[in-house]
Amino acid sequence: MASDPTGTPSDPATASPRSDTATASPPSDIAVTGTGVISAAGLGVARLWEAMAAGKSFFELPGGDGAAPGLPWPTAVVDGTEVDWPEGRSWANAGKYANQSARWAVAAARQALARAGIPGEDEDVRGGTVMAVASSGDELSDVMPRLASKYRHDPRPLAKFLHDEVPDYSYIRGIPSQLGQFVSMASGFRGSNVAAYGETAAGGTGALALAARLIRTGELDRVLVVGVGAPLTVTGLAAVDQDEPLGTRATAGSGPFDADRSGTLAGQGAAAVLLERADKVSGPVLAWLHGCEVLAAADLATAAALAVDAVLDAPGTAPTAWWAHGAGSVALDRLEALTVLPRAGGLPVTGSKGTIGNAFECSALIDTALAVESLTRAELPPVGLLDRPDPGLGDLSPVVGRTLPLPAPATVLLTALTQGRRATAAGALVLTGAQGPTTDHGEAHR
Amino acid sequence: MSEAHAHDALEDIVITGMGVVTPVGGDVPSFWAANLEGRSGIVREERMDTTGLPCGWTAGLIPPEVREKVAADHGAPGRSWGDTLMHAAVEEALTDARLDARPAAAGPAALVYARVWPGPTGSDPQDYITHMADLGERYDTVGDDPAAVLAHLRTRNLPLEARDLSAYPAEIAERLGTAVVPVRLEATCAGGLRALAEAARLLRSGRARYAVVSAAVSRNTPYVLSQYGQLMALSRWKGDPALSSMPFDRRRTGMVINESAGALILETAEHAAGRGVDEHHAVIGGWGLAVDTSHMTAPRVEMVERVMRTALAEAGARPEDVDVVNAHGTSTRLNDVTEARALHRVFGERMAELPVSAVKSLTGHGSAASGVVETAASALTLCRGVVPPVPTCTEPDPACDVRTSLTPVERPVAGLLKNSFGFGGQYASMFLRRPAAPRRAASLG
Repeated sequence: MASDPTGTPSDPATASPRSDTATASPPSDIAVTGTGVISAAGLGVARLWEAMAAGKSFFELPGGDGAAPGLPWPTAVVDGTEVDWPEGRSWANAGKYANQSARWAVAAARQALARAGIPGEDEDVRGGTVMAVASSGDELSDVMPRLASKYRHDPRPLAKFLHDEVPDYSYIRGIPSQLGQFVSMASGFRGSNVAAYGETAAGGTGALALAARLIRTGELDRVLVVGVGAPLTVTGLAAVDQDEPLGTRATAGSGPFDADRSGTLAGQGAAAVLLERADKVSGPVLAWLHGCEVLAAADLATAAALAVDAVLDAPGTAPTAWWAHGAGSVALDRLEALTVLPRAGGLPVTGSKGTIGNAFECSALIDTALAVESLTRAELPPVGLLDRPDPGLGDLSPVVGRTLPLPAPATVLLTALTQGRRATAAGALVLTGAQGPTTDHGEAHR
Repeated sequence: MSEAHAHDALEDIVITGMGVVTPVGGDVPSFWAANLEGRSGIVREERMDTTGLPCGWTAGLIPPEVREKVAADHGAPGRSWGDTLMHAAVEEALTDARLDARPAAAGPAALVYARVWPGPTGSDPQDYITHMADLGERYDTVGDDPAAVLAHLRTRNLPLEARDLSAYPAEIAERLGTAVVPVRLEATCAGGLRALAEAARLLRSGRARYAVVSAAVSRNTPYVLSQYGQLMALSRWKGDPALSSMPFDRRRTGMVINESAGALILETAEHAAGRGVDEHHAVIGGWGLAVDTSHMTAPRVEMVERVMRTALAEAGARPEDVDVVNAHGTSTRLNDVTEARALHRVFGERMAELPVSAVKSLTGHGSAASGVVETAASALTLCRGVVPPVPTCTEPDPACDVRTSLTPVERPVAGLLKNSFGFGGQYASMFLRRPAAPRRAASLG
């Protein structure tokens, strides 16, 4: 990867110096000032957004020799060779505790920090980290079957055998908040570090909601929220598939909201979103975060309805566009449409999972970064692999084929749903575009 | 004002319900009694062969009779043991808080929880041994070809735990009869105290009417034992197992991992009063949280000092307002001396008289659950005016120089500082105040 952690030449990230500027009645108390994404489209939010706008999708088809050859599910795979680890002695020492997810987390975080103009060189006790990750995608799934085979013919007690044979530090590498410590190294944020994880795709909105509370209660001034959707193991994929079959096609007509969709398509990725307290922002504002809620109820439809109602309840949050979870699942797309449409009907709808698949724990953060990008560009990209919108989804108005202009400033409703038996958490948030004169890259200065 | 008529400030965050399942007791009354008696729950780990491990031959295990009762009362098909433990603790806490009747759905509750994932097999050592045998047989049969592995997996029912998910939030929402703001946290061994802080934050933000905080750990498998063994973090004590966790003792050699769960009900004093609940277990005054990046596992004096000072400042308290410290006290060489040095920095000469308790001397270390379980002990310390002993600290380490006692110490306790730290540079400290109207012993549980 290039030394510029933002990744791509077309990325609007700039390491702009942070300076004190006058503030006047911001539309929200929380600003989004940085975003970063690693996806199958490559490094950077802009690269992914532009790929969506161009109607691309990035799935490795079954039968190929990609990350999981021989499995029936197309997967949007991140090219890990583009992701680098920072240089320097302390990072070299820390590297032995870092797994692939940590490397992705740090790379996404550095994109967001660079975009916000935060060099991360100084300790900042008013800054914090919230991670959205899971603990099931660790390296041991590669190692353990081989060790289990070896153990069948080994005289040592199992605990002693594992003590001797399991690679050093693998336990620590698998701890979700461990990733946050590396993000804290990159940001200089030392005020807090916590992982808000599990709950699959609503995890990203849960992490953002937690970060917003840290800011709104005055505990911190800025929080970097970072999510990682690591490559699922075969066991993980099989478990998802047992709950509801994963998609087996990644061709036109298999995307979210399509009449012929057959299941969510697996994806991978990492994303970072930097939230700052409005009265402490000194750099460019990309967007404003209004409500952000996650709720769990006895059933998912109730949770989704309550979450959407909660974020639309705040003044000034009438949405002009909807960035949907859009799992591509037969059941979830229907549940999402039938729940949200009565509350925010008539909106143009898009979603990312037909382009880069479902990165589960971090998918809501990827979508947030993309929604912010849409606000700065005043355009909504189309839904990937969507050919024929499902007439069974009511008056849904998905963006098909080409980008759709948005009014500036626009307001985006974003939704996120869990996926899994009896996993009933749903999240929603509202973002508005930045007010005021914009830069060449669509960023407003305050 | 007499205590009987006193009230906490309406906006105060108070603890109104508590529940625990621990190696020394399956509910709060028995847990507290064991603490005062100095009765240990640490035993030799005989459920698996630990021969050859350099450390970690003992564990804080939930007694068989408690285990059977919890499983019978709170187990359910497909429910993991960790979730079962949390359900047991939550049920006791809800009853204690008089929230056992379904409340009106006048807004969401909060569910903040920390469940330490034991791995794909659950927490029973024999399950893990069976899992490894199955895995080895599979590898010898089909190798690591993904398609063949998938065909093998499709013959099995893969639980939600295979993805580190569970039905817990939905079940609690159903139990409470209301939607919940679900927050599942992970902050290594500081996770429990972090969960309490997050719940208090949710209440302060007005987003939830009350909060259920729960945490559970049960991970005494050959794998987890082997990994802590690699880190040389576990006790190497070869004598009486009950003595193997000895916080602040000069002979301490490491921690003892345990299985445990705790649950606390938090609400504003105003909300509690609205339900007719005026006696509280504790008032959450303030907290300090921080992350350090200088080392992945080793604690640092400056960071411990920082979070303790922040907790006091946020509570508007001074060091002299602290009557007792409920220490993290893990029994590792480094943690205890680091925590002690930070305590000396904050409390100075008062350390000669300041009582320090360390619950892990009896229970072992419950990772994220420890912060919740030990906060329950802290609340009881405040309400009862009794500081539990640290019975395994019979030879206090002069390098720590903290005032522990071998017997319970009766004294008025108006303010208490609770510490929790963890791998990955995690630091948390919380200042708790004695409520204006403390919960009376007779009304507990």
